[in-house]
Amino acid sequence: METILQSLMELAGVSAVLVFDSAGQLLGHRGHAVYDQALCQSVSGALAKALDAVQLQQEDWETVTASYADGKLVLRRVVAADQTNVLAVVADGSLNASFATVALRVAAGKLKRFLEGGPASSSAVNLGSSAAAAARPAPGPGGSQPGPGDSRPNLANSGLSWSKISNVGLSRVAVADPASGAFLTRCAKELAQYVGPIAKVYVEEGVRRVAPDAPFALAQGRALVEDLAAQIEDAGDRAKFQRALSK
Amino acid sequence: MADLASIARIPGVASAVLGDEAGGFHDAIREGDGESVASVTGFLAASLARAGEELGLGAVRRIAAAGEKRGFVIVKVGQAYVTARVEPASALGAVERALDASAGAGG
Repeated sequence: METILQSLMELAGVSAVLVFDSAGQLLGHRGHAVYDQALCQSVSGALAKALDAVQLQQEDWETVTASYADGKLVLRRVVAADQTNVLAVVADGSLNASFATVALRVAAGKLKRFLEGGPASSSAVNLGSSAAAAARPAPGPGGSQPGPGDSRPNLANSGLSWSKISNVGLSRVAVADPASGAFLTRCAKELAQYVGPIAKVYVEEGVRRVAPDAPFALAQGRALVEDLAAQIEDAGDRAKFQRALSK
Repeated sequence: MADLASIARIPGVASAVLGDEAGGFHDAIREGDGESVASVTGFLAASLARAGEELGLGAVRRIAAAGEKRGFVIVKVGQAYVTARVEPASALGAVERALDASAGAGG
C-alpha cells in the first residue's frame, strides 16, 4: 500500500494521502511531517461522517471533491471484498484536477486489488508509480511544473501513444461506418492535448452517453463534442477544442 | 441571497435546493424533498469543514460528488448553501463553473 500512496504523493500539490474504511478507521497514510497518524485518524473520522451524508444524497457516488479556500480534498470510493474504503488526497491549490482524477482512478484500482489480496497487489509497485508518472504533468523546459490553471499536459513524457489512441472507435466502441471511427480518433487526439492520456476513456464514455443504444454515427458528432468539452476545465482550451472539431 | 430560479435553469441542473449552514430549508425547485436535502447538505458541509480545519485548508467553498450517471454540487453563497443535483454526470464541470460564477456575482 505504501507504494500506491507514494505514487499519489508524487503528484504536484499533494501533501497527504489517506486510506480509511467506512467506519473512519485509518488503514494507511502518507504525507508531509505535519500529517501524523493522530491527525490523519481524526480527519478520517470526520470524512467518514461526511461520506455517510454523501451516501444519503447519492448512493452510487464514486468521487467527492471538496474545494477550500487554501486547498482541495479529493475522495474516491474503493470497494474491495464487499467493504467500502476511501482513498483521500489532500492537496494545495496547485493540484491539477484532471491529472489527479486519472491518478486516483489508477491508484484506486491498485488499492482494490491490494485490499482484496489478489495477485495484482504484488505488481502495484511498478504500476502505481508509472500510472502517477503518466498522469503527472511533465516538467517544463525550465524544470518547473505547469501552473494551476494550465490544463494542457506535456505529452512528450506522458506515455501517450497515438497508435493506441487510433484504436478508439474500433475496440470497445461500436461505430456505424469508417468515417465515424475516424471522427472518434480526431476527438481523442484533440482532447488529449488538454486532458492527457485519459482522453481515450473520456471518448469511450462520451460515446456511450450520446449513443447508448446504437453504433456511433457522425450525426451524433456535435453532441459528443459538447459532452467531451465539459471535461476541459479552462474555458479558452474548451473553445479551442470545440473549434478544432467543428472544421 | 442565491437566485435559485437562475441556478435551476443552468443546463444539466435537475433540481436545486437552498438551505443554510444549520441544515435549515429555505427553498427548492424541482426537488420533492428539499428539507431532507438541505439537512443532509448542512451535515455534509459541517463534516467537511471540520476535516478542512484540521488539515489547514481553510473554509469550504464548494463540494462536488460524482457517480457514473449523475452527481451533485454544493456551493456556499454567503451564509447559505445551494445544492444542485446534476444529470448527466458529464455536466458537473460546467455546472460547477456556472455556480461559481453565480456565487461570485453575489448570488
